[in-house]
Amino acid sequence: MIKLENIHKSFGKMDVLKGIDLEVNKGDIISILGPSGSGKTTLLRCINFLEKANEGTITIDNLSLNVKTAAKKDIIALRKKTAMVFQSYNLFQHKTVLQNITEGLLVVQKKPVKEAKEIALELLKKVGLEHKADAYPSELSGGQQQRVGIARALALNPEVILFDEPTSALDPELVGEVLDVIRKIAKSGITMIIVTHEMNFAREVSSRIVFMDGGVVLEEAEPQIIFNTPKHERTKQFLKRLTPELTFDI
Amino acid sequence: MQLDFNFIMYALKELSKVIPFTLFLAFTPIILGFVIGLIVAFIRMSDLKIIKACANFYVSFYRGTPVIMHIFIIYFGFTNLAQEVLNVSLNGIPLYVFVLIALTLNAGAFLSEIIRSGILSVSKGQIEAAQSIGMTMSQTFRRIIFPQAIVAAIPNLTNICTAFLHATSIAFLISVTEITGTANIIAASNLKFLEAFIAAAVIYWVISILIEVLSAKIEKKVTKHIRSGVVQNT
Repeated sequence: MIKLENIHKSFGKMDVLKGIDLEVNKGDIISILGPSGSGKTTLLRCINFLEKANEGTITIDNLSLNVKTAAKKDIIALRKKTAMVFQSYNLFQHKTVLQNITEGLLVVQKKPVKEAKEIALELLKKVGLEHKADAYPSELSGGQQQRVGIARALALNPEVILFDEPTSALDPELVGEVLDVIRKIAKSGITMIIVTHEMNFAREVSSRIVFMDGGVVLEEAEPQIIFNTPKHERTKQFLKRLTPELTFDI
Repeated sequence: MQLDFNFIMYALKELSKVIPFTLFLAFTPIILGFVIGLIVAFIRMSDLKIIKACANFYVSFYRGTPVIMHIFIIYFGFTNLAQEVLNVSLNGIPLYVFVLIALTLNAGAFLSEIIRSGILSVSKGQIEAAQSIGMTMSQTFRRIIFPQAIVAAIPNLTNICTAFLHATSIAFLISVTEITGTANIIAASNLKFLEAFIAAAVIYWVISILIEVLSAKIEKKVTKHIRSGVVQNT
């Protein structure tokens, strides 16, 4: 239900995406892995038109847009089917935690205030932050802010949630609490596309891994296959360097 | 040198009568200029090449020339133009109207930059977050950008209020009787220039202090969300 066809993206003379094809089915959890500069984040941001691809077709459900001819209202319609969780959380600073979550419900989905509040509180419970409903983002730790960001994305009940390196800005101790939340919602059957450097997490939670390098998809397969029997030299190099040499027993 | 303190008190009393008028002269341009500034800020952030060039010129001229020039050019320019081109005399129009026009155009230029800087101070990430959930640019601006832009602009806006309060004093050059103009009149008729202008200075100062105090109160109230720190216990 999400299809990317022949996505090309250049920034000036630099070709970042060189023809990406990707198919994601409902309920899939796709992790996009790869070295920095491989185009992972750019690809993710092309899906919801935060970056405008130069060429290709993006289809979500029954809405198919050619990136060259897409009209503004079509882009907004497409964005309404998605939600994004950002590396730097991007919470609305002037709104409380609860208001951050109800914002989309009230403004985009035009839900009545009471219903929006109920949905928001339910989700805050799910991410373990109902006691912070009236706090402002500046009063929260990074892990808490990201969990609010996840709740904000979930509230809209989108077709797909896009995660852009959700834990990369967190200190190691807070990474766990956010990954726990993502694990939890992964079980609920919602479609997710995650760009991450958390290899073990990706391996554990994904239904499929997509390995990118130099603007193309090098390999795409189930986690066991990618992590145990990678085909490409580059994939092997990348995974090997990231396997921790030392393991601690706690 | 002997200062006539009785006269200073008399001057203070007389000058206080024109405080409302002076405030009107100072703040009407700011309010109207805010609307102009908003429009101009949008134009300058858009891609409309020709209109943008005009807006840039407007801002550059009005920020680049002293307020006195604006008041003189607007006053003498309009009156002469009306006489020669339209053969209409503008003598019936009260002088302060020309001051208002000049100050409004001046305010628009300065406020467009203040508003633009406030808008730019809102992090791009928040704008992307709003867009990623399907908010239109108009919704994003109204609900996310503008509220935060205004809060960021408060110190600058306070500056403008104080600056315009003082700028009204130039109006006396075209015989408008605001604070300075009135001070000049009572000074001339009593030959006590120093006392009259000391009184005027005191009044300007007190009003400026009140503006500062009000601004501080407002700023404290609207920045509640960013003055709290990170709590230690989760």
